[in-house]
Amino acid sequence: MSSTRRPRRWGYPAAVLLVIAAIAILRLFPNLTEASVALLLLLVVFACAWIWESGPGVVAAVAATLGFNFFFIPPLYTLTVEDPRNVTALLVFLVSALLIGRLSATNRERLRLVEAERADLANMTRLSQAFLSDTNQESLLGVAASRLQGALGADAVRIALADDQGELAQAPAASEIPVREDLVELVFRQGNSAVVPLESGGTAMYLPIPIGLKRAGVLVVFGLRSSERMAEGCAVLLGLALERERFVRMARAAEETKTSEQMKSTLLAALAHDLKTPIATARAAIENWAAEARPSPTSQLATEQLQALTRRISELMEVVRVDSGIAGPRREVVTCAEIIEAAVTRFRDALAGHSLSVDAASPEVLVEVDPGQLTEALGHGLENAARYSGAGTEIRVSVTADEGRAFLQVADKGSGVPAADRERVFERFVRLPSSAGIPGTGLGLNIARSLVRMNGGELTLSGAPSGGTLFQIQLPRADR
Amino acid sequence: MSRILVVDDEAGIRKVVRDALERAAYEVDTATDGQAALLALEERVFDLVITDLAMPHMGGLELVQTIRRTSAVPILVLTVRQEEREKVRLLDAGADDYVTKPFGVGELLARARALLRRKEARGGAPALSQWGNIEVDRDARTVRKKGDAVHLTPTEFSLLTTLLSKPGAVWTHRQLLAAVWGTTAGVTNDTLRVHMGSLRRKLEDDPNQPRWILTEPWVGYRFSPED
Repeated sequence: MSSTRRPRRWGYPAAVLLVIAAIAILRLFPNLTEASVALLLLLVVFACAWIWESGPGVVAAVAATLGFNFFFIPPLYTLTVEDPRNVTALLVFLVSALLIGRLSATNRERLRLVEAERADLANMTRLSQAFLSDTNQESLLGVAASRLQGALGADAVRIALADDQGELAQAPAASEIPVREDLVELVFRQGNSAVVPLESGGTAMYLPIPIGLKRAGVLVVFGLRSSERMAEGCAVLLGLALERERFVRMARAAEETKTSEQMKSTLLAALAHDLKTPIATARAAIENWAAEARPSPTSQLATEQLQALTRRISELMEVVRVDSGIAGPRREVVTCAEIIEAAVTRFRDALAGHSLSVDAASPEVLVEVDPGQLTEALGHGLENAARYSGAGTEIRVSVTADEGRAFLQVADKGSGVPAADRERVFERFVRLPSSAGIPGTGLGLNIARSLVRMNGGELTLSGAPSGGTLFQIQLPRADR
Repeated sequence: MSRILVVDDEAGIRKVVRDALERAAYEVDTATDGQAALLALEERVFDLVITDLAMPHMGGLELVQTIRRTSAVPILVLTVRQEEREKVRLLDAGADDYVTKPFGVGELLARARALLRRKEARGGAPALSQWGNIEVDRDARTVRKKGDAVHLTPTEFSLLTTLLSKPGAVWTHRQLLAAVWGTTAGVTNDTLRVHMGSLRRKLEDDPNQPRWILTEPWVGYRFSPED
């Protein structure tokens, strides 16, 4: 790690001193040959370069060459050389010393870098494990600064986070050193890191904390002793931890909403059961009674009224479902023909008094909707058509499509809805004067429109070419 | 005479269903919840079980699952739920059919009759099935309509015999896919719809108003040999 590195300026005198000491020791052994002395001195140069690296290594090489010449090559105690062969030897010695020093220093430097990187990696791993075990923003931020400070070997670390509106707010951190708010703002807006010198010596590094393509805030590191790359890595890690924390929070919220919706849904189902069971009992009892005695118009009327009551209860339940937001569509891709078939089947009884014609010009048009909800919505159209047009008249159901839209239509031959009232009838409990005497709650069209809109479509009323009302559901096509 | 077990926690429903069934000359026993129903099923043999869906202690869905572990007795479920997914879950669990409350007595009796007929037909069912103007010979793998041979693809034939194996019962899309293709992976409801449409075109007098192969919207199909 870089903080334990020996300061280089001590290296030069130390290298010279070590060479001098080695020469003094070698002088104690006058029997050593010149070759042995040369090899031993090279060893010393190697050691100097290993310990203090390149600069002091070169100095040691030069000092050793001079010392070798001065003390061991005749004439002794001069820097002159008598024998021309010794000139070559001396030159070879110098070159070898320089080379060995260089190699030794380079290796040492590489080793140091590898060790530093390994240490950084270990720190990062520890940090990420610590961050990932925190799933709460308060506890994450509470310890993030001190954890980062430890991992980066920094004097102090401060974290400024942006809120949901993108405004920077600073997390509390104990530090005497002032943070330059203008730099924090700049780094946050531009997304580039900045390094500035401090009056007290050392540097302050301002790093953006990335979340995806955006930034969560700014990390400020005072007196960074590890690499800038490590600091950047830490900022990325902090961003990931914050993002993960956000996802965990979202997932938890979604889970809570789901549970509460499921509960509402179950309660509604239980309510429907409790409301419909007595009706079912009454209806079957009347039919049993009629079968045992003889069918009478009275028993027939009672049965019809019970069916009407059931329908009203269903409508009310549908309103509650829509209003409480638990009717979220569960969409799938289906053909328009299926929706029509389902609606016609379900509302068969209501349509019994009319002549129904199904004209599916584009039956295979696909839409992505909640099939149950669309069946219900179209059913309201069929039911209204049956109610507001004369017995025995034609009700025409059709499906057509253009480039991007599918149209489900119900046309009747009734009296129609005046153009001025065609929007008003979608309001709750609004019934037109012309519908007096016809059973209904004034909820059906309102429910139908809510259901269609929830599925990304639109429901409108207009005048049918046949003279009556044209009930039209428009949906985006799923096959374009 | 067929014996029917009626399971419902509501005394009123038990009484009206019993009255209707007894009037149609069936023998009827009743149980107040799923556990009582299982005890009754251990004691004697029933030809049909009619059960409510929502009951205390053991609900209809759990009852269906438990019965299906040991018995193939036809099961008809009384439900209030309009939701197709609930029905699909019931049918996938092994129920044969359902009626929605408040049901008409006539409808209930018709469904019960269809399921009981299957019970009678089992045990030595002949390989030739005949209804309306259609004849099916399973061994020869041939189908005749008004005496004329109708060519069915192997898939269509397999679909038809699957439907015929449980007359009156509702098949969910998943059950049909599993029975005919052997898997539900890679085959979609779309494929099923195409084959079913083709089968209807070949067998029904008016494919747009089918009489025998009926669609249960969003749930599946039903083969109904009655008009």
